[in-house]
Amino acid sequence: MVVAEDLTKKFGSLVALDKVNVAINAGEFVFLTGPSGSGKTTFLRLIIRDLKPDGGKVQVNDQDLNGLPSKKLPLFRRNIGMVYQDFKLLNDLSVRENVALPLEVRGVRSQDIKSAVNIALEMVGLDKKDTLFPAQLSGGELQRVGLARAIVGKPKLLLADEPTGNLDPKTAKAIVKLMKEIHTHLHTTVIIATHNSEIVNLYNLRVIALENGRLVKDLSEGKYD
Amino acid sequence: MTKAILTAWQRIRRAPYQTLAAVSIMTMTLFLASIFFLIAAGSQAVLKYFETRPQVNAFYRPDYIPKSEQIASIKSELESTGLVESFKYISKEDALKLYQDLNKSDPLLLEAVTAQMLPASLEISAKSPSDLKIISQAVQRIEGIDDVRFAEDIVSSLTQWTNSVRIIGGSLIGTHILITLIIILLIIGIKVANRRDEIQVLQLVGATPGFISSPFIWEGIIYGLFGAVIAWVVSYLLLLSSMNFLNTFLSGIPILPVSIWFMLKLLIAELGVGALVGGLGGIIASRRFLKA
Repeated sequence: MVVAEDLTKKFGSLVALDKVNVAINAGEFVFLTGPSGSGKTTFLRLIIRDLKPDGGKVQVNDQDLNGLPSKKLPLFRRNIGMVYQDFKLLNDLSVRENVALPLEVRGVRSQDIKSAVNIALEMVGLDKKDTLFPAQLSGGELQRVGLARAIVGKPKLLLADEPTGNLDPKTAKAIVKLMKEIHTHLHTTVIIATHNSEIVNLYNLRVIALENGRLVKDLSEGKYD
Repeated sequence: MTKAILTAWQRIRRAPYQTLAAVSIMTMTLFLASIFFLIAAGSQAVLKYFETRPQVNAFYRPDYIPKSEQIASIKSELESTGLVESFKYISKEDALKLYQDLNKSDPLLLEAVTAQMLPASLEISAKSPSDLKIISQAVQRIEGIDDVRFAEDIVSSLTQWTNSVRIIGGSLIGTHILITLIIILLIIGIKVANRRDEIQVLQLVGATPGFISSPFIWEGIIYGLFGAVIAWVVSYLLLLSSMNFLNTFLSGIPILPVSIWFMLKLLIAELGVGALVGGLGGIIASRRFLKA
């Protein structure tokens, strides 16, 4: 599903990722761990081609992103759902409209959008709050909306960049639990970038650890030390 | 497309001052275009009127009455040059009738004039105003001709005036369209920059550049359409209110009133120009940001 070979990214003189080699199979649930500045976000941004590597390559679904033309980028991104620490919701759109966004951009019929959004909102437990606006929701609810938006298009790959970073411990655990349920239910490959050791250690799942841009650990059933 | 138009409309309503600025500059430019177009079209109509009127009038001596064979010979000789559109002989009796028609409101003038006092004449219309001189020179050589008059000066002045209106109007309108495009580009550019977070989200969920830029393009088009309608209404009202003055000014030249079809064609043209300038502003502003 995701293969990185000697993946390198620099920002000026700062090496954000340094020859990272990793392979994540379809259907896996992976924690990408490491302290702030270790290269987790850069790695995820390279996977969705929000950044271009300075060395090596990354393949998603057998597609080498170095050779992906800009024209095909929107189509490529439609197969990936992404959850952000700061939610990235549009404040002037309702919960329903925010969740519908990935389907709107694909030109899906409004009837189909309605039913897909209903399912996604039900999965995250927000079906009763679909007419509210982001300003009317709590942090946990905002992240649920972000999650519903990420899964509404049934992506093959779900990426989450510090999805619990802005949440209290209880809500954070609930969000990750929800992502695990979605993974089980939709068989989506999930990569969660986090530095929340408590959450990682709740599950006995694959852990890929980065430090100063380098891969320091890749265990199929790991813990976050 | 409907979604993009609705989004554009929402954004327009949410920024009333920017909308006012955009529609005002669009209205000003299209109003200027309307006025210059109407002046140019009016001048063209006046020029055409003079061009299609008998342009060379040749008067016989009052004591000279040409024979019908002579007239036929002159007619065929002039027509053989290929320069003449029409030829008409006005006898003394015809001249009296014309005189009576022109002065029917003044009986005193009618009483004093008889057919014998008026000269017979030839009315010759040229195919092109540039041939007037050649025709007048040819007519001057005809036996019995006393005086030759032609509207060369009027036509050449009108041609000059019409050309000047076209050149000055074209340059002014062109400059204003460029300024309008820049202002629309700035206004939409600000809106695009204000929505960079939204654009980023749209890009990340797989929106194409066309999907992202279409509401901005529609916004420009809506500014253009509003500007065009306002400019057209104002210029039409101005034309209607000046009708009395124009009728006096153009006395005898039948180009007024302007037909509603002509004005509707002008509206369609203005809508087209407005939509084009606004849409182009939207395209450039959004594409510039998306490329950055």
